[in-house]
Amino acid sequence: MKSSKSFTILSYAVVAVMLVLYVVPLILVLNVSLKSYPEYLINPIGFVKEIQWSNYVTAWTEGNFANYFINSLIYTSVATVLTIIVSVMGAFPVARKYVKWSGFIYMFFLLSQFLPNPMVAQYKLMLSFKESFGFFGYDTKLGYIVLKTTGTGVVFMLFVGYIKSISRELDEAAGMDGSGYVRYLFQMITPLMKPVIATGVILTAIGIWNDFVGPIMYLPSQANYPITFGLKEFKGQYGNNWPLLACGITIVAAPLIVLYTFIQKYLVDGALAGAVKS
Amino acid sequence: MYPFGKGMARYLPLLLLLIPMALYLVFYFGPSVMTVIYSFTDVKNIPGSTMKFVGLENYYDLFYSGNSGERWRSITNTLIFMFVVTIVQNGVGLFVAVLLNQRLRGDYFYRAVFFLPVVLGVAVVALIWGMMFDPMSGPVNMLYDWLFGYKDMFFASFTHAFGYIIFVQIWMYMGYSMLIFLAGLQSVPKDLYEAGYIDGTNKWQSFRHITFPLIAPSFTVNMLLSIIGAMSTFDIILATTDGRFNTRTMAYDVYKETFRGSLEMGLPSALSVVQFLIILVFVVVAVRQTRKREVEY
Repeated sequence: MKSSKSFTILSYAVVAVMLVLYVVPLILVLNVSLKSYPEYLINPIGFVKEIQWSNYVTAWTEGNFANYFINSLIYTSVATVLTIIVSVMGAFPVARKYVKWSGFIYMFFLLSQFLPNPMVAQYKLMLSFKESFGFFGYDTKLGYIVLKTTGTGVVFMLFVGYIKSISRELDEAAGMDGSGYVRYLFQMITPLMKPVIATGVILTAIGIWNDFVGPIMYLPSQANYPITFGLKEFKGQYGNNWPLLACGITIVAAPLIVLYTFIQKYLVDGALAGAVKS
Repeated sequence: MYPFGKGMARYLPLLLLLIPMALYLVFYFGPSVMTVIYSFTDVKNIPGSTMKFVGLENYYDLFYSGNSGERWRSITNTLIFMFVVTIVQNGVGLFVAVLLNQRLRGDYFYRAVFFLPVVLGVAVVALIWGMMFDPMSGPVNMLYDWLFGYKDMFFASFTHAFGYIIFVQIWMYMGYSMLIFLAGLQSVPKDLYEAGYIDGTNKWQSFRHITFPLIAPSFTVNMLLSIIGAMSTFDIILATTDGRFNTRTMAYDVYKETFRGSLEMGLPSALSVVQFLIILVFVVVAVRQTRKREVEY
């Protein structure tokens, strides 16, 4: 279909304006992060004159970011791997109808997206776990990881859809050869699910890495802060010292942007496949 | 027919399924039901305290106790937030998706950039805009000053803070709506446009009568996500103003009362239930509206 020239030019113009709105803030942050504080005060948005790499050293040491990064990595990697495992455990028998009430279980799991807000009772529950066990529940790394591990919701739904496209005859052949259920699940089915698992990993990991409310509610000790909470604290300490804060933003955002450039294709496909906002 | 053994082995799938089931029941479904139950009691956040049934007292207190004026303000804020975010985010998202769908040069790059804020997360996004909106030396104020000779307080302004929060929320999730619309647009068969073109339809007509009915399913998904998202999101508020300057919404209030309020937990529970009912009403209405427009082809 032919498209008129003027319309195309207009489209480019609109996209360019949108692009400015999305890219300029990032460029400004980078620019500010390289200024000395006096230079920032004199000229907040002008192009940086004397590059101050030392800002990054200061931000990194003062902000305790190494510690927060490690915490975030632990929470995200462990909870994501566990989420994928339990989602496979849930999705496979439901997709294959190897358990009774499969249809009902499917609906019940999807209901997790539409439940009334569980925050109040969840908070109380985490506190009482801490009361009774000490090592689990409120303000423990383990408690937070288990809380973030879910086998329901969008990842489960994607997995069920994908497993249905894998031939049932494979199950039967493997059964004939004497493979056990658990072995079949993790040595045969899981490798076949690679594309959808990649999507599931990305969606889950982004959700956990960027969780802001969870850590504030359940991880009040500084030793347990993930990067999101760490950044908030950093802002609290350095209120208006924007060069340092901009370093903090860059330190947190840069790895994400680098990673994103590599995985954006999967991510976009994944977001298209299953849409979720946590 | 189950191919992996007989007898006890038959129960292995169920056994493994119980793990996600247990996590779900303990951490989400259970607490969700308990929150509804709590809303009719005088439960306190004191270990070992007794709990008794008080009927609708919490609901009454929500609207008729000392700070009920603030409650109405929260509810109005929530509704404003939901309407503006749903309409603007989906409107802009659809518009950008239609533009990118014409195979513009570099469309993959634009797509990736518009989705970037979701990847960066709310902590980073809030801080970026905190810098942009700095009242003393922020770039946006310089722009305002240069254009209108006027300066704003942004996140510290009683009248404007909430509007800026809405802006940041839309800025953050516009790319998300755009992606879902793009998926819908890519499923529209091209020959329909060809047919329309031969019949002499103009751009608007072809959008109105071909594109729009065919992407109605992605409309439904987007509506659902925006409504539920906008009604229950408060991390952006927490990260920017922390509820100061008239920026409280119902979701924020639930958090605040649970986490930093008194030890009374019945009140936030009741508020959760009210919030849920409002979401339910809007979701049902919105989905009905968009469902009507879906067509088969």
